[in-house]
Amino acid sequence: MAIIAKRCGIKFDPPSVILIYEDEHTSKLRKRVMPVRSFSQFSDCSRAAERLKLHPRHGHYLDLVSVEQLVRLHMVLRDHLRGLSVEESLREQRRSHTHEEDLNKLSDEELNRRKAQMDVLFELNRRHKDDPDFVYDLEVEFPDNSVRETCSWDQSDEEF
Amino acid sequence: MAGDMKRIPELEQEKYDADEQVKIICLGDSAVGKSKLMERFLMDGYRPQQLSTYALTLYKYTTTINGRPVLVDFWDTAGQECFQSMHPSYYFKAHACIMVFDVQRKVTYKNLSNWYKELREYRPEIPCLVVANKIDADMRMTQKSFNFAKKQGLPFYFVSAADGTNVVKVFKDAINMALSYKKNSSDFMDVVMRELENFDLERKEESAYEEEEEEEEGRAD
Ligand SMILES: Nc1nc2c(ncn2[C@@H]2O[C@H](COP(=O)(O)OP(=O)(O)OP(=O)(O)O)[C@@H](O)[C@H]2O)c(=O)[nH]1
Ligand SMILES: [Mg+2]
Repeated sequence: MAIIAKRCGIKFDPPSVILIYEDEHTSKLRKRVMPVRSFSQFSDCSRAAERLKLHPRHGHYLDLVSVEQLVRLHMVLRDHLRGLSVEESLREQRRSHTHEEDLNKLSDEELNRRKAQMDVLFELNRRHKDDPDFVYDLEVEFPDNSVRETCSWDQSDEEF
Repeated sequence: MAGDMKRIPELEQEKYDADEQVKIICLGDSAVGKSKLMERFLMDGYRPQQLSTYALTLYKYTTTINGRPVLVDFWDTAGQECFQSMHPSYYFKAHACIMVFDVQRKVTYKNLSNWYKELREYRPEIPCLVVANKIDADMRMTQKSFNFAKKQGLPFYFVSAADGTNVVKVFKDAINMALSYKKNSSDFMDVVMRELENFDLERKEESAYEEEEEEEEGRAD
């Protein structure tokens, strides 16, 4: 079945991604509600977006929807759980997007604000010295460079 | 310009010539996690010395290597651009460098080449370790290869200051590399660099003098 995505949005309760699409065979407009499961104010939006894109039943409906858009929608969902309105969330996203470019140029105050935002995830993932499973010298081996896929960050024109 | 910022008056840097002392510096953009990595490695056994005018924090660390005590000074500075004028003294006599980027922000990876270029201007030969921090935030990044380190022939590590992955390993490797660099290199490069700097200064004075002369003659272009 061929799907022509028309619009993609969200619903807060229960948290879901909504797709308005045209079924190419019947030329009918349809709406599909895709619930976003096990999602909290601490969730990683890129991961959640990717999960939906690869979802066995919903995935192929989203072929024409970019991951970036899905990430943005998830961020609005997440910010809602953090108590932000849609407008606030979008403003936040625009702001952090432009500042993404170079934090080296920020004032102390701005930089501390950005660090405070980063602290939410930092504290969540943090292993403390008095955690029962704490290992000071935690070593983890990762696949050798040669077998890893090239990062898209290297694919752009700039040379090193 | 580089010459007058050479020394931070509060700090005695001659001590780094002694065998059992090494200086390791941390480089990278703002908020990539340099200070958090430092703190994770040292846990609470550190005595930082803060020099806020230079946005510089010094951490002293003692360890024993081959039965001999070694004193390591870690230099941690802010990535913010307004502190760039202190960089020459930051690099001065460093024996190894830990260069950090944030796997969540591409710009911090792209900027590595600038940090590296500056490092090599001051310290052409010291060991440099490339560190990809915050992998806890996006484990998928550990499946990617990053060309920068490979291209420059530098050791590369995936780490997380939050959950502790490979942090101690990086610091231990850095200390060992700093020690062996110190043992195996005469301070030849250091001397050459200092001479070059003096040379530069003299040349600048000369050219300033010439300009004055020209002004007196009243150039009309
Ligand atoms: N998730 C996660 N967040 C981290 C990690 N390391 C640092 N952070 C976050 O990044 C923020 C900035 O870390 P800092 O250590 O202050 O960064 P820095 O490189 O010292 O920054 P400057 O001193 O301003 O140049 C912290 O406030 C944390 O919230 C990490 O391993 N994982
Ligand atoms: Mg810092």
